[in-house]
Amino acid sequence: MPSSIVDQFIEKSAAVNNENYLMSKNELTKIIKPDSYANIPAINLYKDIQIEKNGINKAFIQADYGIAETGTIVLNSTSEKLRMASSLSEHLIIILPESSIVEKLYTIEKYLREKTKQTNSYIAFITGASRTADIERVLTIGVHGPVKMSVFIINDL
Amino acid sequence: MNSFKDSINSKLNDEVLYNNLKNFATSYKKSRSAALTGLDFENLRMEINNRRTYSPDYLETLFHRFKNNAEKAGAKVYRAKTGTDACRYITEVCKTHNTEYIVKSKSMTSEEIRLNDFLEKENLKPVETDLGEWILQIAGEHPSHMVMPAIHKSREQVAEILSKFTGRKIDKDNIDEMVKIAREYLRDYYFKAGVGITGANVAVAETGTIATVTNEGNARLSTTIPPVHIVLLGYEKLVEDFKTALDIINILPKSATGQDISTYVTWIKGCSPSANNPTGDKEVHYVFLDNGRLAFFQHPEFREALKCIRCGSCANICPPYEMVGGHVFGHIYIGAIGLILTALYHGEDKAKDILKLCIGCKACSSICPAGIDLQGIISKLKVITGERYGINPVKKTIHSTIIPNTGVFSTALKTASFFQKPLIAADGKHLKTLPFMPENKDFRTLPAIASDFFTEKFKKHYKKQPDFEKKVLFYPGCAVEYFYPEMGEALIKILNKAGVKVDIPKKPVCCGLPAIASGDGKSGKKIIEKNLKQMGNPEDYDSYLVLCPSCGMAVKEEFPEYTADKPDSYKLSADIAQKTLSLGMFLKKENISLNVKNNAKVTYHTPCHQKRGLGFSAEDMLEEILGNNFVPLEDSDVCCGFGGTYSIDFAGISSGILDKKIENIRKTEAEIVVTDCPGCIMQIEGGLLKRGINTKVIHLSEFIENNLEIM
Repeated sequence: MPSSIVDQFIEKSAAVNNENYLMSKNELTKIIKPDSYANIPAINLYKDIQIEKNGINKAFIQADYGIAETGTIVLNSTSEKLRMASSLSEHLIIILPESSIVEKLYTIEKYLREKTKQTNSYIAFITGASRTADIERVLTIGVHGPVKMSVFIINDL
Repeated sequence: MNSFKDSINSKLNDEVLYNNLKNFATSYKKSRSAALTGLDFENLRMEINNRRTYSPDYLETLFHRFKNNAEKAGAKVYRAKTGTDACRYITEVCKTHNTEYIVKSKSMTSEEIRLNDFLEKENLKPVETDLGEWILQIAGEHPSHMVMPAIHKSREQVAEILSKFTGRKIDKDNIDEMVKIAREYLRDYYFKAGVGITGANVAVAETGTIATVTNEGNARLSTTIPPVHIVLLGYEKLVEDFKTALDIINILPKSATGQDISTYVTWIKGCSPSANNPTGDKEVHYVFLDNGRLAFFQHPEFREALKCIRCGSCANICPPYEMVGGHVFGHIYIGAIGLILTALYHGEDKAKDILKLCIGCKACSSICPAGIDLQGIISKLKVITGERYGINPVKKTIHSTIIPNTGVFSTALKTASFFQKPLIAADGKHLKTLPFMPENKDFRTLPAIASDFFTEKFKKHYKKQPDFEKKVLFYPGCAVEYFYPEMGEALIKILNKAGVKVDIPKKPVCCGLPAIASGDGKSGKKIIEKNLKQMGNPEDYDSYLVLCPSCGMAVKEEFPEYTADKPDSYKLSADIAQKTLSLGMFLKKENISLNVKNNAKVTYHTPCHQKRGLGFSAEDMLEEILGNNFVPLEDSDVCCGFGGTYSIDFAGISSGILDKKIENIRKTEAEIVVTDCPGCIMQIEGGLLKRGINTKVIHLSEFIENNLEIM
């Protein structure tokens, strides 16, 4: 029995040490901390904060797509603040509408073409928190960017 | 050559390197295999290869498409002819912005042109942000691998480097702490730097977009914080469209690290908003590097090397690389592709020695996700540098004068077989330790030269075979002719039982591979022409059989290649090539049923030139026949380390590779190792005998004759 696309996404996302949660829009609204960076168009929540060298604690950012076969989220990071928030937060929390999860990597081809036809764009495929195995091939998570990543899959979006 | 040999020896004695690379090789194979599950790798790499074959004109078209899109978006595009040209342009941009620090994400292209050295001479401070590269930078060293630059370092060594740099005491076992220190320092640099420099994994012409691929996220930060972004890339990074770009992004991490996808894939088009830049937008420069690429795009064979996607798998799978690491097996680029790119970008002179490190096992050609026949190109470059820089004079004499002259060669060996008598060991088939053999080359018990050569035996005993309708021509090759005639005899007996008549060439002539592999193309060609005169008429033979797959490969590939300029000879060699099979392949083709006669526990070593040359392995066949008596050999298709004269020229590497093969054989606890290459037998049997290990090594032909019966 083939697992659903959501199941596949969660499996792959968990394999790169992401925490994955399924929840409703309402439940999401209750969880979000008011003082963290947020960019969640689906529930009209935007919170901009100062981001400097030391980074920020958490960032709640809505992704454009999720790719099930690799556990990847696709984020339009053209906005500099959003980009900084996603690269300099200790804990990156992605808000992923269930309806935006696709199965295959190649499905994003059209989106890439459309977005990059514009004058400028910066699209990020993110699969887990920043990692390295450069020292004796021992895997360490949290090199330059986030040390932790969570994905909140919103099942009624 | 002396300092080259010295550097090899010092690496062979580097225990940290040995363990790191050996452990990596095992885990890499497993994770790559897992990542490729469900993917038709062969099909995908063929597609990628086909789609990236550009004519020089089309490449220009792609470039201009990219350039137009990039410039419309406000970016600057510069065409750098040479490395120095690129370095100068980049320096000027940095100086214009008055920056002291520059952050860099990993770029092999920047290593190729030694960009950091140039920038430092201009009093600029480039900081590598990839953890492995940064550690090496502060240690004053260079990377030894394209994907894991510091794989040659132990945690103790890294702790020492960081300790010296930071002035702090660092616990050698606390890798988390070391990574945290790097995070702290590098975070600082991202904000201090006025310019970020990256490479690009692909440059998509259809919209003027580049993609960078990292696990650390250092390319993201390098392209986000500083107000200026410089992209240094070779023309070969250009692809037409996002489909091809995604093909590369798809296969790259699976081949490089065995991951489904890298943690960060970043697609950048134009000039993103940048608060640090007074204009509000990032200033973006694309520096396209030539450095020889545009010329090589015109070369029918070398342009294949430009399809490399920098995955590093040709290093990961290379047995000699595993023994000596990237500081020896390469120059700036490492691994199999490194030998080639060194010749193309850094000059034949820099490549001539390291090209010799290739053992010819073809593992690289079979693993390359870009579909490049790496070993084929290396082989050509060896002939080219051989012609230019000369070949070992002793080898040259042997290949050009002695071997092609059958009379002289046979007489020499006959004489040797007579004089070796006092050196023959108790078993009558091998030599005792040779008194004049240097200790570091004495890692195998060698076979004695046969007292009766194969062709002589054939003429004495096998001329009168029954007149079967089906005929084959058996090409013995030097190993069977002079050392292992009994293998050839076994073949004749087996085939006669199966109703097949066996002819042989009138006189024994070497296939030419030893000459070609040593870089002597001329002698190779001479001897190939000599062979063709006595291979009979392909119309008369069902198949041409070999017991030595290296000879088989020579007949299939080198014979047509070296007669390409003569239509008659070419047609003959192509016809013969089509019919060339190993014994195992012939038995399978003829559907000859075999039954096992006894209970011996058997394992199988797959010769490189069987699986990756002739395209067949007898493993499945043996497993089917032997059932529970068959034990699969771990890394069966990894080279045994023979490589012909390689085992003498680079004895240390050869014996190191053999050690690993023997370790795997011991793990099977098999009584018999079957293989179908006399060279492998010479190597593996020689190594086992030297160590006093009882396991028998036997050719498939003799195994079938002794242990199986034909139905």
